[in-house]
Amino acid sequence: MATLEKNIKAVKDVLKSEDVLVFEFTSKEGKKFAAIYADGLINKELLGELVIKPLSECKKDAEYEQIKKMIASPEFKDGEKIKDAIKEISAGNVAVFIDGEKSFMIAGLKSPPVRAVAEPPTQVAVHGPREGFIEDIKINMGLIRKRIKSPDFMVKTITVGKKSETAVAIVYIEGTCPKGLPEKIEKQIKNNEIDIVADSSYISNFMTRHPRSLFKQCGIAEKPDVFCAKVCEGRVGIVVDGSPICLTVPYMLVEDFQSVEDYYITSYRATALRILRVLALMVGIFLPALYITAQLFKIQIIPFKLLMNISSSVAGLALTPSVEMFLTLFVLEVLNEASIRMPKYVGLALSVVGALVLGDTAVKAGIISTPAIIIIAFSAICLYTVPSNIETTTMLRWMFLIVAGSLGPFSMVILGAYIICYLVNEQSYGVPLLAPFAPLVKSDLYDSLVKANMFALEKRPGVFNSDDKVRLKKNED
Amino acid sequence: MKINTRQVCFILFAYTAASRLLMYPSVLSAACRRDLLFPALVNFVISTLVILSLAILSSRTDKTFYGLLRDSMGKVGARVVFGFFAVYFLLAAFMPIFEHEQYIHAIFYDTTSTRVVFLPFFIFTAYAACKSFTNIGRCADICAPIFAVCMTLIFLMGVGEAKFVTLLPMLKEPPADIIKGVGDTALWFTEPCWLLMFMGHFKYRKGDAAKITLSYAAGALTVLFFLAIFQGIYGGIASSRTFAIARTSLFFSAIESIGRIDLLILFVLEVVLLFSLVLNIQLGVHTAAKCIGTDRLAVVSLVINALFALTVLIFDKYYGAIYELFTGWFWIPSIIFVLAIPLLAWTLKRRKNEKKAG
Repeated sequence: MATLEKNIKAVKDVLKSEDVLVFEFTSKEGKKFAAIYADGLINKELLGELVIKPLSECKKDAEYEQIKKMIASPEFKDGEKIKDAIKEISAGNVAVFIDGEKSFMIAGLKSPPVRAVAEPPTQVAVHGPREGFIEDIKINMGLIRKRIKSPDFMVKTITVGKKSETAVAIVYIEGTCPKGLPEKIEKQIKNNEIDIVADSSYISNFMTRHPRSLFKQCGIAEKPDVFCAKVCEGRVGIVVDGSPICLTVPYMLVEDFQSVEDYYITSYRATALRILRVLALMVGIFLPALYITAQLFKIQIIPFKLLMNISSSVAGLALTPSVEMFLTLFVLEVLNEASIRMPKYVGLALSVVGALVLGDTAVKAGIISTPAIIIIAFSAICLYTVPSNIETTTMLRWMFLIVAGSLGPFSMVILGAYIICYLVNEQSYGVPLLAPFAPLVKSDLYDSLVKANMFALEKRPGVFNSDDKVRLKKNED
Repeated sequence: MKINTRQVCFILFAYTAASRLLMYPSVLSAACRRDLLFPALVNFVISTLVILSLAILSSRTDKTFYGLLRDSMGKVGARVVFGFFAVYFLLAAFMPIFEHEQYIHAIFYDTTSTRVVFLPFFIFTAYAACKSFTNIGRCADICAPIFAVCMTLIFLMGVGEAKFVTLLPMLKEPPADIIKGVGDTALWFTEPCWLLMFMGHFKYRKGDAAKITLSYAAGALTVLFFLAIFQGIYGGIASSRTFAIARTSLFFSAIESIGRIDLLILFVLEVVLLFSLVLNIQLGVHTAAKCIGTDRLAVVSLVINALFALTVLIFDKYYGAIYELFTGWFWIPSIIFVLAIPLLAWTLKRRKNEKKAG
């Protein structure tokens, strides 16, 4: 059997799938070639222009080195082992085999279907850049590279996933990120053999010390400006192919209270907004629990006039305060889940049915009271002031509701103390989750709940212990 | 290092004051009436001096108290002393647990609450008590600002209603009553023992002795100010007003219109009160584990807290008798553990710091 056919057969024996196409062509002088690629992953126009068209001019007795020079693709490499060819074809590149040659050429013509760069839905900013990451690692890396041009900017690329072989890029700035951290992260990711990495959340699971923890241990960024700012502060960033959400570590809980816009508006407004977010989060978590604990165990919390109003609302209600609140919260969670999953046009109708008809009818029928609906609705709105932590905060709301409804205010305090005691022990790659509050790092307080002006943030966060500590140097002249 | 000087200061400031906000004022008022500040002052001055001496001792050695004992008395001797300390810490926690249970039932619940509502406390304590000194320090980092904010609000609510003239004339009560006040409240003074246990676990830097002592003094001043406000509000009936912290803000004028917002402050402050209460149990568990020679703090903590829970369930109804018992004789172990041993620690063999601190 001729070399070309042998090579094609070797590849097709492994990549049996029908979407792996073999395009055999012959030059004008009769030299035979075969381009093998995965359909839908490459740019066929470029294949024709940069590979097939030049090779069609190839002489019959041309040597391999001469043929190589004819290829016009900027991304190009040689290969000798069939398994390398298989890997590259699976990754979306084109393997070009030549009759009579053992070696083959790989042309980087990858062009998977991607959406356009757009503003992410969860990190919207009135001021500041609007670009967001998309599902393609190359475009995402481009968005990052566009912002960080330093020669110290480093990228380590690894592949994760036995079946998916997903590209994962670990990015950092040498001298700024904690020593040995990128290697540690790489090792930790590689230690986990999984079939497929569908999203960066898979990787974030590999990077937590306590995978069962309710609290996340990786920061997320959907916008390149946020991501680059975090990397420049000394964090390590992780970009996963196929995911529009990039990860950053070490992570501190306070990051979730910092919005992207805080850095583009005045420090006074930013501080006020951060405090507002904390208060809103507290209200969101504790208000439903406090309401039922007040009704069941400590009525004095409620001001007298308000108490009168509430008592007239709940008079004749068949359910106990705990069950009523449970039911209302349950309905909210169902509506929330359904509105996300349903098609948009049905979702609109559903929200009208859910919010207006269901709520109004339930109150009129005496199933739930108006204060319960108001409290749950307000709680839900409050929690969305910190959207990146919504998974944790909704769970906490349930937990506080359960203990408040069953054991009263003291159990709420106990649960709060337990969470503090647990959180002070948690850390993300050596950085305490509650830093800069516990342990107290005075210098980092300027960008925590308080957002000081830019000139107060001369140093990088102290918790990272970077070699290069200076972030902003003001020249006097 | 497991804990740092700032965290030690926070503990001595916040937990010192937090542990004296419930029964302590009424016990003092019962013993000394309008002169309640003086026994408190005597106890605080003594404790401050002991703390200063321990802070200076910390500058002379980088060893832990256990290390000092082991070098001087051998491993067995050190373990025995730690065994005694374990008993002392647990006894010192005993009465405040009962005090706290009564407080929870009286203030946190309008309805008749069952004993079950207090049981989660022991689950939390079992978890917290087996944590390291690092954890204790970081919890203090969180608690100190919470405490400062809550106390400021409580003071603001109470100070307007206090008539400080009720504290006058001063020193008119019989000296015997003041001495009784000093003895009766001795069980609340365990802070020098805390510092003894933290010794060697924090890196001493120049000036830390002053910082530590001043933090304790700040905590003491907070308590004295609180006592003055409490006595100023209730005067002659202060001794019958138990759980002082919940009574201080009762007459705040805005409460009528906006409801008992002070209760929300009390709920938040309760977190600090819990950690201050847990500290003695934590140290009890740590010293007990050292005495037994085990690293399995979780098991020790579980056993100790199960025993505490059982005791509270059994003796819940005999709070009065327990109170009489503890206020009556606890000054004896207090003299030994809070005064004698910390001062005797100076006589232990200690290695000079190899590197000059600073």
